[in-house]
Amino acid sequence: MRSEYSRSLIQLGQDNPNIVVLGADTTDSLKTSYFGREFPDRFFNVGIAEANLVTISAGLAASGKISFASTYAIFLPGRAVDQIRNNIAYPSPSGKKGLDVKLVVSHGGLSVGPDGGSHQQVEDIAIMRAIPNFRVFIPADTVAVSKLTRLMANKYGPFYMRMARSKTPLVHFESQEFNMGKGITVRDGIDCTIAACGITVRMALEAAESLQQDGISCRVLDMFSIKPIDDEILEKAARETGCIVTTEEHNIFGGLGSAVAESVSESYPVPIKRIGVQDTFGESARDNEIPLLLEKHGITSINIAKQVKELRNKKL
Amino acid sequence: MGLNYYQIKKNVLQARKLVIKGTNAAGSGHPGGSFSMAEILGCLFYKHLKFDPNNPQWDDRDRLVLSKGHAAPGLFSNMAVAGYFPESELETLRKLGSKLQGHPDLKCPGVEFCGGSLGTGLSYSIGIALAGKLDSKDYHVYTIIGDGESNEGQVWEAAMTASKYKVDNLTVFLDRNFIQQDSYTERVMPLDEKLGEGDNLSEMWKDASRWKTGDKWRSFGWNVIEVDGHRVEQVDAAVKKANATKGVPTIVISRTIKGKSVEHMEDNPQWHGKAPDPDVVPIINQELDSQFMIAPSIIAGDMTNLENEVKRCAAGRADYIHLDVMDGQFVPNKTFDHAKIKELKPLTVIPFDTHLMINDPVKHVQNYVDAGSDVVTVHAEVTDESSFGEIHDLLKQNQVGVGLAINPDTEFPKWAYKFISLLDQIIVMSVVPGKSGQKYIEATHEKMARLNPILHEHNFSGYVEADGGVNLENIGSIFADGARAFVGGGAIIGQQDVRTAIKDFRYEALKSRRKQLLGKANQLGGSELVNKWIGLHVVGEKQDQIRRIAQEAGFV
Repeated sequence: MRSEYSRSLIQLGQDNPNIVVLGADTTDSLKTSYFGREFPDRFFNVGIAEANLVTISAGLAASGKISFASTYAIFLPGRAVDQIRNNIAYPSPSGKKGLDVKLVVSHGGLSVGPDGGSHQQVEDIAIMRAIPNFRVFIPADTVAVSKLTRLMANKYGPFYMRMARSKTPLVHFESQEFNMGKGITVRDGIDCTIAACGITVRMALEAAESLQQDGISCRVLDMFSIKPIDDEILEKAARETGCIVTTEEHNIFGGLGSAVAESVSESYPVPIKRIGVQDTFGESARDNEIPLLLEKHGITSINIAKQVKELRNKKL
Repeated sequence: MGLNYYQIKKNVLQARKLVIKGTNAAGSGHPGGSFSMAEILGCLFYKHLKFDPNNPQWDDRDRLVLSKGHAAPGLFSNMAVAGYFPESELETLRKLGSKLQGHPDLKCPGVEFCGGSLGTGLSYSIGIALAGKLDSKDYHVYTIIGDGESNEGQVWEAAMTASKYKVDNLTVFLDRNFIQQDSYTERVMPLDEKLGEGDNLSEMWKDASRWKTGDKWRSFGWNVIEVDGHRVEQVDAAVKKANATKGVPTIVISRTIKGKSVEHMEDNPQWHGKAPDPDVVPIINQELDSQFMIAPSIIAGDMTNLENEVKRCAAGRADYIHLDVMDGQFVPNKTFDHAKIKELKPLTVIPFDTHLMINDPVKHVQNYVDAGSDVVTVHAEVTDESSFGEIHDLLKQNQVGVGLAINPDTEFPKWAYKFISLLDQIIVMSVVPGKSGQKYIEATHEKMARLNPILHEHNFSGYVEADGGVNLENIGSIFADGARAFVGGGAIIGQQDVRTAIKDFRYEALKSRRKQLLGKANQLGGSELVNKWIGLHVVGEKQDQIRRIAQEAGFV
């Protein structure tokens, strides 16, 4: 995902001289340093100083630049929420909402692996959703990363995009369109809906596949746009499939599950089951143990399938 | 805007009054920190900042970032004076629907930064400055940070970054007022050194050997300039120096006084974030209107070594230096001319108050502008409406203050009435001009009484300067007459210790002012308001001193 992000930035940087990229000593890891090699004047590494990173990005944006600021999830919403709120989201030049800063992070959620619980940010979506003027994306694969990076560059205002650390298999075709506030139906079905984001979209598809063999037809939605959320696609799913399982590598409080529940409860209430981190923290896991770590928190295709079966019995 | 020294001071005064108006109307707000940075903002707004109030988003404007956002009333007041919006709008401060929010906000066109959460304005300014460099713009970013704010770690993150990226289109002012919300900065979190129990802040303020803040910034790779932040001329000189410094960012460490210009607010942590009560507002306004200056006259010193006299004035903390130019014709004596002034000017940044006691001043005034005078005063006896008009225009065009002087036997001429509102200074001579060491002519008191209504009627907003025979015994009564600038000859420059002499002058004028303010309190609210006024003065020995004056005057 990071390589795709880096490639996209360079392409965008070639087309638009106003794009600037900032990092905080993780620019090799985020691969934004490639942008720096290409455009040294438009690349700023401010050192391990995330508050500074956020606010300088805001200052550049206030003067007509489009700032992409990147580091790990744990160090942005997890550390600099005051600067994100007061320096990016709050200042609204005449007729606009917030400043033109894109916070793009890697290492979201549990799949960070070996670095452990201190680095596994499972609260960022809740934090970022609560800040007015911010839009929040979680891409499921490199196609999404590329398209969403372009979307953010072309759309004014503050965005937060959370990438996963690990390599992710493709779930979208290259031709897939991404629109802000529009979920994507990656598989249709009538018995239940699985609303997923990020790395769990793949798991949801696997779960749907296995449920198919049991005669259960599952709809799978990639809810990459957590904010704004696609109320329409959710209401339709609620009406047509009667229940929704959500899944994410984030605390069940405030993440995708909450967003879906909030939306559906106001439009067409149906039973909902939220799969995710159960209000606890992560822990270290070697790369090959990451699936086991996720399993500890119920974030697997097997558990998704199990929860779908149980939830169907609670349908109204 | 490019205004002269006097006009800047005038605007600073007006802005201070608006701070009082706004915070009073709001019932809350931060006058203390607005007053400590008043001269810094004044010097920027009215001299150096490039801006257009009718086009606040002008691409090439300089940017002013108020990082210590709680001082918003100070920013808004200056914006009003500078023409961004009507002064009456200050009355909406902090109220529902107002663009004048409790902290600076982009809702108000012309505001560059949403301040409030401290410690972030410097990083933001770096962003703006870097964007300016990327776009090859030559705008400059001026940023005001607080000393309490400097507790925030992000300030130092930004300090490193500005240095790394050689952000030389950025000048930071540290409003070093030594007070933050809880208490003195050196108690809460020292920037210089920890203030012990019984240790006096004002002693630290004066003792350069105890200041370490500059060293901190120097070690971060910054160009550091240290000034008295209430001296317009020092701030002005610092901005010029900063703008000429390339390759490194500059910080101007400005020693200031929280609540400056209102005695009971000065150095008083209580006034960090509190609005004045409505009943004392008129007294505060009168106090603001009664600021005064002391100007030693160097011809009373050693005429063979005027360079040294200028240095003594600077060391003595004179407000400005009075230079009597005599040509041997208008007055019998001869002193020096513009050539000498030009030689002396580089010795100090203290304003030069050039008093031309010469014939035909209109022919010579350009020379005195070129020599570096900050205000030039010519005599009514040798000018008329036409020649003075010419002099006025020339001085204004060159950002030099305009003064008109009258001799003891001259009444203020009728032809000059039309200039009164344009004058920065009126010198009312209280000795026959020509030589120093004469006695004050008592009839000047009555002359001032005749002059005041005329000045009032014609909207005079400059300084009346008393020149001749002013000493410690009579300065109080001269102040009471309405003079606000005092030339001291033998009584200051003739003394061994100029600094003490000036301090003593100040104290006597201050006593007179205190008495006037008590009189105002008495007039408005009798002994109850007098007592309230006295009670507000809680720092140091002020309260006892003021109570004594009130007792002597029979107000309590």
